[in-house]
Amino acid sequence: MSKKFLLTFLVLFFCSALCHAKPQNYSSSRLPTQKNEDHEFESYKPVTTVKISDPYEKINRKIFAINETFDRYFFEHVAKTYRKTVPNPARKLVRNFLSNLSLPISAVNSFAQGKIDNGLATFSTFLINSTLGVGGLFNIAQSKGITYHFEDLGQTLGYYNLDQGSFLMLPIIGPSTTRDFSGWAIDKAINPLSFNALEIGGNHDLVDNQFIIATSSLYSIDTRESLIDIIDDIRQDSFDPYATIRFAYLQKRAREIQK
Amino acid sequence: MIKKTLSKFILVFFFCSSSIASSMAFAQSSEESEVKIFIENVGNQIINIANEKTLSEAKKREKIINEIDKVIDSEWIAKFVLGKNYKNLTDLQKKEFIQLYRDFMINTYGPKFKNYNGKKFSVNEVEKQSSFYIARGEFLPKDSNEPILTDFRVKKKDGKLYVLDFIAEGISLIETQRSEFNASIDNEGAEVFLKNLDSKVKKLKTNKK
Repeated sequence: MSKKFLLTFLVLFFCSALCHAKPQNYSSSRLPTQKNEDHEFESYKPVTTVKISDPYEKINRKIFAINETFDRYFFEHVAKTYRKTVPNPARKLVRNFLSNLSLPISAVNSFAQGKIDNGLATFSTFLINSTLGVGGLFNIAQSKGITYHFEDLGQTLGYYNLDQGSFLMLPIIGPSTTRDFSGWAIDKAINPLSFNALEIGGNHDLVDNQFIIATSSLYSIDTRESLIDIIDDIRQDSFDPYATIRFAYLQKRAREIQK
Repeated sequence: MIKKTLSKFILVFFFCSSSIASSMAFAQSSEESEVKIFIENVGNQIINIANEKTLSEAKKREKIINEIDKVIDSEWIAKFVLGKNYKNLTDLQKKEFIQLYRDFMINTYGPKFKNYNGKKFSVNEVEKQSSFYIARGEFLPKDSNEPILTDFRVKKKDGKLYVLDFIAEGISLIETQRSEFNASIDNEGAEVFLKNLDSKVKKLKTNKK
C-alpha cells in the first residue's frame, strides 16, 4: 500500500513540476547581450528570401542615371500634369480599363500555375467588367466580391522554379530580371489585346497598332502617376536609390510568386 | 496490481501532458493577443493624431515622431541594417551610428505617417517566428475600399513589446535599408556613409513638412 502511495505521489509531483515550468522566453529572461542579439539576427527570417544577382551593375547604374534624367526632365512632369488635370474618379476609370486588358493573359498564367480558382476569378472579372462594366471602365466584379491576384509569365516561370537570372535596369521600362523581362515580352506578344502573335480569333490584327500605341502610352503615364509619392520619397530619403529600387523590386516579385 | 498501477500512471501522464499542452497554448495565444492589442493601439493612435483637426502640421509631426520613438527598438534595428558592416566599425563609430540612425528613422518615417488619416487600422493575425512576432494588419484609407496590407515585426525585450519592422505590401523597410546601406558602404566606405547620414539627419531636423 505504502509503495503504491509513494509511486503515485512521485509521479504526481513530477508531472506538477512540468505543468508549472515556464517555457524559456529567450528575449525576456535576461538582458540582451551581444551573444543574444547575434542569435536573434541569425534566427531572423526575412519577409521573402531575396537573391541579388547583379553582374551588370556598372551598366545598370548608368542606365538608371539616364532613366533618372529622362524622368526628372520629362516623364515626371507628364505624370504630375496628368494627376493635376485629370480628376481622381476619371483616373480610376482609366486604370480599370487598362487593367482589364491584361486580365486574359493573367487568367492563362493562373491556369498554367494550377491556380484554378484564381484563374476562374480573373476570367470572370474580365467577362463581367468588359460587358456590364462598359469595356472595363467600371470594376463591377470587385463590387460583387470577386477578387483575384494578377499573374504574369515571369511569375509562372518563377512558380516552376526557373531562376530569376540577373537583375536588369532597362531603359524607360526600369527594373526587371532576365526571367521577368522575357516573360513580359512573351506576354505582350501573345496577348490577343496586344500584338496577338498566336492569331487568336483568326486574325493577327485583333486590335490595330494605334490602339496598342495609345494604350501602352496611357499605361506608362498611369503607372508613373501611381508611383509619384514613392519615387519622391526614395529620391529624398535614400542613400543609394538604385540599391533601394533593386531590392524593393526583387522582394516584391519574390512575394508575388509566393502568393 | 501492476496493471492497476500502470493504468493509473497512464491516466496521470495524459492528464499532465494535456495540462502542459494547454498551458503552453494558452501562454502563446495570450502573447499573440498582447501583440495584436499593442500594434492596433499603435496604429490607431497614429491615425487619431493624423486625423486631429485642431493640431498644426508641425505639432502632428512632433506627436507622431514621439509615438514612434516610444515603440521602436532603434538600437536593434540599427545593428540589423548594417549587418556585417556593423562589426567592422570602431566603438566610436558604432555609438555615432546608433544615435544617427535613431534620428534618421524617426525624422524620416514619422512625418510620413501624418498622411495616414485613414478610416481604420486592424490586425487580422499574429504569427510567431522564433523570437519574433509578425502582426499582419491592414490599413483602410479614407478614399478607397481597397485595404493596404501592412505588417509589423515585433519583439519582446525586458517584458516590453517593440516594433522592429514595417512591411507594406510585402516590402520590408529594414531589409530594404539593409541592402541600401550596405551597398552605400561597399561603394563609399563607412566614414563617408556616416558623414552622409549626419548631413541627412541635420537636413531632416531643419525641414518642416
